Amino acid sequence: MSQPWNRLSRRQLLKGLGGASALPLLGAMPSLAIGGQHAGHVVVVGGGFGGATAAKYLKRANPAIKVTLVEPAEVFYTCPFSNLFLGGLRDMRSIAHNYDELRQRYDVDVIHALAEDIDADTHKVRLSTGDTLHYDRLVLSPGVDMRWDALDGYDEATAEKAPHAWKAGHQTTLLKQQLEAMEDGGTFIMVAPDNPYRCPPGPYERAGMVAHYFKEHKPSSKVLILDAKDNFSKQGLFTAGWQHLYGDRIEWVGLSNDGRVTRVDADNLEVETEFGTRHRADVLNVIPPQKAGWIADRAGVTDSSGWVPVKPDTFESQQVNDIYVVGDATVAAPMPKSGFCANAQAKVVAAAIASSLEQQPAPTAYWANTCYSLVGPNYGISVAGVYRVTDGAIAEVAGAGGISPADAPDTVRALEAEYAVGWYNAICQDTWGTQV
Amino acid sequence: MSHSYRIKTALSRRKVLQHGVAGLGLLLLSPFAWASGAWQQLDAAQQVLNGATPITQGLTLDLPHVSEDGSAVPLGIQFNGDLADGDYLTDIHLFAAGNPQPEIATFRLNELSRYPDIATRVRLNETQHVVAIAKSHQGQTFAVSQEVRITVSGCLMRGEDNQPEPLTNPRVSVNQQVAAGDALEVRTLINHPMETGLREDSNGERLPRHIIEQFTVRLGDEVAFEAELHQSISANPYLRFHLTPHQSGELVFEWQDDQDKQARHTSELSVS
Repeated sequence: MSQPWNRLSRRQLLKGLGGASALPLLGAMPSLAIGGQHAGHVVVVGGGFGGATAAKYLKRANPAIKVTLVEPAEVFYTCPFSNLFLGGLRDMRSIAHNYDELRQRYDVDVIHALAEDIDADTHKVRLSTGDTLHYDRLVLSPGVDMRWDALDGYDEATAEKAPHAWKAGHQTTLLKQQLEAMEDGGTFIMVAPDNPYRCPPGPYERAGMVAHYFKEHKPSSKVLILDAKDNFSKQGLFTAGWQHLYGDRIEWVGLSNDGRVTRVDADNLEVETEFGTRHRADVLNVIPPQKAGWIADRAGVTDSSGWVPVKPDTFESQQVNDIYVVGDATVAAPMPKSGFCANAQAKVVAAAIASSLEQQPAPTAYWANTCYSLVGPNYGISVAGVYRVTDGAIAEVAGAGGISPADAPDTVRALEAEYAVGWYNAICQDTWGTQV
Repeated sequence: MSHSYRIKTALSRRKVLQHGVAGLGLLLLSPFAWASGAWQQLDAAQQVLNGATPITQGLTLDLPHVSEDGSAVPLGIQFNGDLADGDYLTDIHLFAAGNPQPEIATFRLNELSRYPDIATRVRLNETQHVVAIAKSHQGQTFAVSQEVRITVSGCLMRGEDNQPEPLTNPRVSVNQQVAAGDALEVRTLINHPMETGLREDSNGERLPRHIIEQFTVRLGDEVAFEAELHQSISANPYLRFHLTPHQSGELVFEWQDDQDKQARHTSELSVS
């Protein structure tokens, strides 16, 4: 039991980096149990950055809370750094994480099953094992699902031919195999979605990583990005970095130049844009529009946008009491849909739930986010933001955060590439306890 | 066929918005509480209404509740209300109540474009209400408004300010064959900076206003659809609308900017 607290100082440091606000709770000794059993049962659905962090920080806030984590996968692959696998910089093992720390160190009951339905009235979660869990508070960290009806010709079956690779794992290795099988001189086409979607800079990091792989192994090959928007995250930095490292190997076509793809022909690796231009690929990567993971629909927390509106102070659903939602599934703009944000939001939720189980008000919430992107192996760029609740909505704190300078020397880009690795190792240790 | 189907889906979407979605929290935040004020407090809208009390059912705005890029917010406007036999909408006015100049666009419809389902992309400076007011041939007026929250995210910073060449790359997407009386979807896009006249360059000099003001579609000799555009239309104007042609002919699309320059695009239409 004392083991977790031995590491307090390091964890506090990490928490400072994560920018969450569970801090006030550490000072107050929580009353331990209700009815001599536990201080409430919290079920967490989803074991990614949001869910795993929520489970751990609930236990840290009050070890007497019974916490059950429901996650189908025994090994979780992160989307962050999966682009580095595509670029040949990492193997899949290096982005794999498990739930040993949550079980062994934090006494979280981890169940590898799918949450199939939620009854908010009776506070029950039905699992694919046939079991039913009763919760006092529910945390959903469902991530995203693809909108299979959004792009003509693109569905779950065709995604095996034209992978999205926007959930790390099988799809990622599939895309990597296709890149490896491609002949030199081919064209890699990426279809990028309109906002909002998981990881705003992700498609553009991927373009650089694929271009790096081509530069090393298939030097006559090209990258073409067909984009459903005119502006993207860190656009100026990406564009300059691409030019610097890859010349004209990467071409980007935005919305106003007919970049929005409306039809996919996965059998022929061909796409058609809104105004009828056809492009043929040798490897086709379609990142379709997205929505909150489907269990959020079952819980009744999504709105007509397909995403989950939350109360900004606590991330409790605006529509259903006692259900808290974190991560990519939420409407948290201007916070981006990033792993860092999911981790930070989960700490706020853990603090809010621990307080609510004791009939206490939630501590004041604030969050931080940094998105590192690699343009090349030694070329990193970043954007950081700090967020607070202002006038009832999440807002970026003016003057905090910032973006990598535009005209920095290569040494600065190389340092940021190192920081990116440091960030990844730290947040994975914070979330899953993974040691490097 | 497609006509009635579309109206049905639009209706059910509205019902979802009004009833299905709204938990208590959403109701409290919802624009319905004071949406009627959004056009009552807007001079430009009052001028269009000219004393009339608009009907608040039938006209629907399709806008995101939250947008992370106020420079190009997708906007749709549809009509599924009640009109007398033979009546149809002739004018749809769009306003951004919180922009320095609230006018977004005015669409002029007639018997060749009497199926009102229009989409474009608009500039919204800040969180605000968007207002639409429509008038019918026989003098009915309709109004609707919706709030859009604009969050300026540092993560979604834009790239270098590469201004498009004005009036270049006119693009039109239209089915070239249609059955008489069916609604034909038309999509258009053209490159143009749509410079508002409100921005300064890096030296602090005000950039002069330079926008497309007029977009006209003719079928043969007849005007089929017109749009008057203002500063609150996004750069590289996009318009999606519907025509209901009864005979074949040449479709002529014409964009005209405030420097009296034009771009044209033509397309043959075969009506069976």
